[in-house]
Amino acid sequence: MSTFSALNAATTALWAQRRALDVTGQNIANVNTEGYSRQRADLQAIGGSPIPAFYSTSPGIGAGVNAEGVLRIRDAFLEGRGHTEHANSARLVAEADAYTQVESSFREPGDTGIQSLMGEMWAAWGDVDNGPHELASRGQVIESLNTLIGGVQFSYASIGTQWDQTLDNLGVLVADVNEAAESVAKLNTAIQRATQSGLPANDLTDQRDLLVMKLAEQVGATIRPGEDGMVDVVVGGMALVSKGTASALALAGAMGPDDVGTDPPRLTTASGGFTVQAGGTAAGQLNALNKILPDSRASLDDFAVSLAAAINAKHTTGAYDLDGNPGIDILGSSGGPLTAATLSVMLTSPRQIAASKVAPVASSPALDSSNADEISQLRLSLTGPDAKYRAMIVELGVQAAVTGRNVGIQQVITTQVDAARESVAGVNLDEEMTNMLSFQHAYSAAGRLVTAIDETLDVLINRTGLVGR
Amino acid sequence: MRITQRAVALTSLQGLNRNLDAVGKLQQQLTSGRLISAPSDSPTGTNRAMQTRGDQAAVAQQSRNLTDAQNWLEQTDSALQTMLSTARRVRDLTVQGLNTGATSDVSQQALATEVTSLRDSLLSLANLQIQGRPLFGGVTSGGKAYDSSTGAWLGQQGAPVTRRVSDTEKIRVDLTGPEAFGSTPDGDLFAVVGKIAADMSSPTAASALTVHLADLDEIMNGMEYAVADVGTRASRVEKLQLINFDRALALESQLTQTEKIDLPNTIMRLEMQKVGYEAALAATAKAIQPTLMDYLR
Repeated sequence: MSTFSALNAATTALWAQRRALDVTGQNIANVNTEGYSRQRADLQAIGGSPIPAFYSTSPGIGAGVNAEGVLRIRDAFLEGRGHTEHANSARLVAEADAYTQVESSFREPGDTGIQSLMGEMWAAWGDVDNGPHELASRGQVIESLNTLIGGVQFSYASIGTQWDQTLDNLGVLVADVNEAAESVAKLNTAIQRATQSGLPANDLTDQRDLLVMKLAEQVGATIRPGEDGMVDVVVGGMALVSKGTASALALAGAMGPDDVGTDPPRLTTASGGFTVQAGGTAAGQLNALNKILPDSRASLDDFAVSLAAAINAKHTTGAYDLDGNPGIDILGSSGGPLTAATLSVMLTSPRQIAASKVAPVASSPALDSSNADEISQLRLSLTGPDAKYRAMIVELGVQAAVTGRNVGIQQVITTQVDAARESVAGVNLDEEMTNMLSFQHAYSAAGRLVTAIDETLDVLINRTGLVGR
Repeated sequence: MRITQRAVALTSLQGLNRNLDAVGKLQQQLTSGRLISAPSDSPTGTNRAMQTRGDQAAVAQQSRNLTDAQNWLEQTDSALQTMLSTARRVRDLTVQGLNTGATSDVSQQALATEVTSLRDSLLSLANLQIQGRPLFGGVTSGGKAYDSSTGAWLGQQGAPVTRRVSDTEKIRVDLTGPEAFGSTPDGDLFAVVGKIAADMSSPTAASALTVHLADLDEIMNGMEYAVADVGTRASRVEKLQLINFDRALALESQLTQTEKIDLPNTIMRLEMQKVGYEAALAATAKAIQPTLMDYLR
């Protein structure tokens, strides 16, 4: 054991405690940084030679402390759960948003909703029943039908607009994802180089994990740990980032809500065009594009068809208009198959409304109005358009309510997982403060050790061998 | 479990958010006055509200129908009453005409002229219109119930004219000419009065007039029966108007109960929620503030 080995040990201690203080400072500085994982100076005693050997002069006491490594404290399992829960949460939020917008486009229950317009339309038939010879009340039927069709088509069009906006948003999201994947790949390369050259790459890793979490929320990405601190990012079984290379996603499928059935919008790989089962916001938006919005449009189509069928059936069987001609179809398509969008009034004159059920006698038309009454009573039919519309709104309400509740539940879970992640990786100021104190004291003590050895050497060098001087 | 400042801040923030969300929801209910603003707030409530709205529109329409029915029946009644008194005058004149010993030919002639003009006024009463339709014309699309000179019925029998007075009930509001004034074309009110006028001036008046008088009595009986019939229907309509009014009120309160907020209840809940929110704020402020820093020298 050399004379100065204790000094050396004290030096390593001074150095190590300062390093630890530096790390504490970094932790405190980043207490509120999003995605920062707390770090810890990895202190290790420098032991003597572990293997006793001939001529070995190991004294058995170590030679100080080593503070080479700085550990980044993070729980990989909790991170994985965080990815899954954040993806679920983002998907549900996207779906709940879609439902909220669909609900608002129906304006139910309220005085401006389709139900109110239908009530007015049936009442107009009642007025024809009161005055079948008056063109004013007949005209009112046609006008109220046009208003009703306008209301239906407004809802239909606003769902279509919502579809287009959702598709736009998904396109922006895909561009964002591709950019983030590119950044993750670059960070992977940087981390690999740092790790290989033995440099700490903790801050790079934090940055990368933040991006991965964003990818998890957007497309439900999960990670697969690789060599040298790198990770592979996987989306629905497809590797979005593999080590230092990123592939890209693309949006494929219909560009309008009418073609969803034949060519559903989907995420594919940019090269090869394989369909990718994404999660997260993308899954929610795809569900809105492929199911929620088309279903709402389809039920409006159903409603339009059933409205036309119910009124037309009454209007064309055994019914006669003001001039004694048999009734013709009131509602029909303005072109193409009958849908909510093509629904229109086919009558050209209010005289054509077939209010009478009495056939003309000797070509003199009868002023009967029992057919108008029967049509106005269609609103009570259990299989009629009113019942159909109400069932549709109730189903929409139930689905929206269920999704809303699920969002609430999922958000609680996500926050709990986040709190758990934070409790592992987050900075606790009390803890840092205590650490700071202990490192500070250790530093002073090491300094004191240097003084003590200095004094010892002073005694040895300056005070010994002075006998007889 | 290791707790960090950020974890505390995160969970407190979530709690505060949830509290504020509840406050916001109650506040929105108070400001809009509506309990259900979207179907998802209460799907069954939405269904009930939509049904009630449909019923309200129907009840409003039925109220219009009832007013219209009342109008028809009142007009029919007043036309029939006037015609009855005219027919009575015809009867008086006929009885006077039968009294051949006391009247001269000239006065007999005068009686005949008066009866003829009474027939004209009967015909014009029978052709009274309501909203452009002849009252006694059935479902005819023409403008007259009876030909003004021949007295032939021009109306059309068919389905009766009815008014929808409730979801399940219709009331007949019209009365066709044949029902009111006799159904045989040759023996109805106008034909009989015409015959009286014709036979009044003839020398062999007495026997013919006796027969006509009997016919006229029978027709007047029929008209009185028609007046009673119309009166019964009118009183029914009046009763139904009351029922309709009650139903409109009931539906309005039903809609209010389904859709609108209970004001005291909501204000109470908002106050309680606010107390909860303030407590959460105070607790959060206390939990987040201190660190070890406050106690180290």
